[in-house]
Amino acid sequence: MLSKFIKVMENRFVPFASKLGSQRHLLAIRDGFISIMPLAIIGSLAILINNFPINYYQQYMVGVFGAEWTTFSNYIYSGTFSIMSLLIVFSISYNLAESYNNDPLLAALISFSSFIITIIQSGPQGFTIPFKWLDASGLLVAVIVSLLATEIYVKMMDLIEIRKNTNQGTMTPILNRYFSALIPTILIFIIFSLMRIIFAFLGIENIFQEIYRLIQLPLLGLANNLFTALVIVFIGHFFWFLGLHGTNILEPVIQTLYLPALQENIQAVSNNLAVPNIFTKPFFDSFVYMGGSGTTISLLIVIYLFSNSKRKKDLMKLSSTQSVFNINEPILYGLPIVMSPIYLIPFILTPLVLTLSSYFAILTGLVPKTIAMVPWGTPPIISGFLITGSISGSLLQIFNIFIGILIYFPFVKIAERIKD
Amino acid sequence: MENIVLVCTAGMSTSLLVSKMKEIAGRNNIEINIEALAQSELKSYNKRIDLILLGPQVKYLLNNLERNYKNSETRFDVIDSIHYGTLNGKAVLNQALTLLNKKVI
Repeated sequence: MLSKFIKVMENRFVPFASKLGSQRHLLAIRDGFISIMPLAIIGSLAILINNFPINYYQQYMVGVFGAEWTTFSNYIYSGTFSIMSLLIVFSISYNLAESYNNDPLLAALISFSSFIITIIQSGPQGFTIPFKWLDASGLLVAVIVSLLATEIYVKMMDLIEIRKNTNQGTMTPILNRYFSALIPTILIFIIFSLMRIIFAFLGIENIFQEIYRLIQLPLLGLANNLFTALVIVFIGHFFWFLGLHGTNILEPVIQTLYLPALQENIQAVSNNLAVPNIFTKPFFDSFVYMGGSGTTISLLIVIYLFSNSKRKKDLMKLSSTQSVFNINEPILYGLPIVMSPIYLIPFILTPLVLTLSSYFAILTGLVPKTIAMVPWGTPPIISGFLITGSISGSLLQIFNIFIGILIYFPFVKIAERIKD
Repeated sequence: MENIVLVCTAGMSTSLLVSKMKEIAGRNNIEINIEALAQSELKSYNKRIDLILLGPQVKYLLNNLERNYKNSETRFDVIDSIHYGTLNGKAVLNQALTLLNKKVI
């Protein structure tokens, strides 16, 4: 009966998840975020270095480098994490144009300019770029502008391409390429400039402010809610259970919602204000997905300590080292967990419970909120310390792994009894 | 020499499989080039590809491959999930050789 249920789920959800996972614009957004990740991680760690909440450390740094020692890292942060929207405009556009087999560099440059046209403000000293909207608060506008500009560019280039094929030109290829790009480029800038004027006419001088207030702020509010976090964890793991990379499929949503949340936290820390958000991208990566999706590090420990079955011991040999770096495909497909009715429950239940436990640990103040980001392959216990700047982050990870062990234990036993 | 590319989200788990496949290919004197790529690296990969094998977790990218490679010689397929999970280099190599119309081992 259970296997029939799984079959139905598979037939119903796999096509849907596949469509979501292969959608061109979502893919471009996901790849766009992946491209800027190194910069975002370095920027967030720069702020962490400034703000380790250890008195001795702070005094030592001031003693060695002087009171202005934090300026050094602040520069790095301001040039990376702080201009996230600027970076993302370029990288989403680049990835989207590339997927159309069009000139990615030119498309990215056009999108970049379109973004600047959208953001500049006139003031008494001429045009200025408001720096505060270049960070994650301008993210939604950045995504829209880059998709829009690139789409118009690609569509117009396709039209020109068709015309060009009907009457062959005599120009050299490279010259030809830039000449034919001229008309779409001009048109795109006209559209964006005109848009500014129309918005100004409607009384909206700063589009960023309006979109932030009307869409992004409510979205962030929704994201920083326990229920939403549980739903996102559930969907991601449900897709994984069907054999699809759930967290990857959801990546565009997770990044757009939870990267700005992290940025707000970082900003607050560097201004000595109260840190606002519990749910951020590193919250999930480091407190919940330890050893990979499904917190399989706990499962591996259970198998290692309590299992006699030889096949599983072999599996352990294959995957224990990678598991430390949060790679778990061999376990998911090899044990297997994917499509296994027995592992369905702990595989989905463990991350949900850990989302709850981490939430309450942070809510009650036992563990500080996340203020930095590390690469997703950073081993647990190390990552917990780095993202919170506190040992209690690591302790929460150990506690969570222990809960995971308790949840997985009975199911491993059942699975073995059925095998025998 | 044929060029085979294995693709997953970050190119991490496929790289483990690739090293197993290379080892077996080497032992059987099969001249073949095998590489692991992240999904985002595939677009800008500019060497000739004869065969793309997708990790089962990104089988949803088949739609994109069909779109991008419909007019080319490049073939593509999804790796069997059990072979993938158990890092069965021999089985996956045989899958690749079959798809390239070569003798299996």
